[in-house]
Amino acid sequence: MLKRSLAILTLLIIGYWLAQGLAGVPFGQDRMLVGHYYLEHVKEQTGAVNAVTAIVVNYRGFDTLGEVTVLFIASTGVAALLWRKKKKRSAKTEGSVVLTTGTRLLVPFVILFGSYIFIHGHLTPGGGFPGGATIATGFLLLYMAFTTYEIPHRGFEKTEGIAGMSYVLVGLIGLGIGGYFLFDWIWQTWQLGTDNIGRLFSGGFIPIIYILIGIKVGTELSGIIDNMVKEEVSE
Amino acid sequence: MGEASKISRYLYTVIVLFLIWLFLTASLDPQELEVGLLLALIVGAFTYEIFTTSGLANLHPRRVVYAIAYVPYFLWAMIMANLDVAYRVLHPKRPINPGIVECKTVLKSDVGKLALANSITLTPGTITLDVDDDRYFIHWINVTDDSVEGASMNITAPFEKFLKVIFG
Repeated sequence: MLKRSLAILTLLIIGYWLAQGLAGVPFGQDRMLVGHYYLEHVKEQTGAVNAVTAIVVNYRGFDTLGEVTVLFIASTGVAALLWRKKKKRSAKTEGSVVLTTGTRLLVPFVILFGSYIFIHGHLTPGGGFPGGATIATGFLLLYMAFTTYEIPHRGFEKTEGIAGMSYVLVGLIGLGIGGYFLFDWIWQTWQLGTDNIGRLFSGGFIPIIYILIGIKVGTELSGIIDNMVKEEVSE
Repeated sequence: MGEASKISRYLYTVIVLFLIWLFLTASLDPQELEVGLLLALIVGAFTYEIFTTSGLANLHPRRVVYAIAYVPYFLWAMIMANLDVAYRVLHPKRPINPGIVECKTVLKSDVGKLALANSITLTPGTITLDVDDDRYFIHWINVTDDSVEGASMNITAPFEKFLKVIFG
């Protein structure tokens, strides 16, 4: 009782502090400093219509590279923590025909929609991370509905590595052509898609990087699911 | 129904995925069409094995016509069932007589069974609890006939005459 009231009191004090701090920031007023620069130059400098993805991939590409690294480390960490010699699915009850058939019908659509999200990253909200997570949902569905389903490991792990390395490679090509890492060579040097901004084949290297990130995130999260649903079997 | 050839199943998956892509993008820009076709080919290659067993036979004109006709038929059944449940809720005496009944179905394919189970659940008043081979266990809000034949006549038969043609 005393513990709980002390905790509530502390939270109230912290909340009051935060509210006091935010009270100084007026709501609904223009306080952008660099924001204006992004919004005014995003089309001519990156070719993307979606300013958010342009900032995330192009202006601040290092952040995204870091995020991809974080996800990779998370996946490797889960694999290392749950590493055992012999692992198997231990689920016993097969789902009913409604569940399994529904999953069979849904999985292709889920994967197609995930790809749709990351291919249109430079035009619509979304991008590589939501798209990849959607694809992983498809594999989660398969894991939930079928007691024996397993992702094809060799293919998945290779694809993940290749996608990650290709991202760095795209950046390195930029270093060779334009002088700095993650330089957008497709847009700045090749001028590809300059005449059709807003259509699919535009946006410099954003679509390419997002396809790579989508594939990487999709395979990575599926790998985490795979690691977590399996249990050790005694020999 | 036997399994169709791999090519037929693959082509069917690609066609369905491409149609979905057309609905998703809602544009006939050639760039979108090219990428959509490419994606349908790729995703189809990975998923056709789980997606379909009967392949292109699903696109038989008779089946497509029945599938299109089934949409308004089902919507009408859904509206009537909703009104029926609303009547039962609003009626001061609350005339319900709930119970679980067993039904038999004549459908053979898994997809047909899924469609039937979902049709039963989406029409209020009946909920599919479990499907076991050709037996359906259904929670019925107003049980008028608890024999297997009688319940099937009332619940599954109206949908089956369409679903039998669409899915087999």
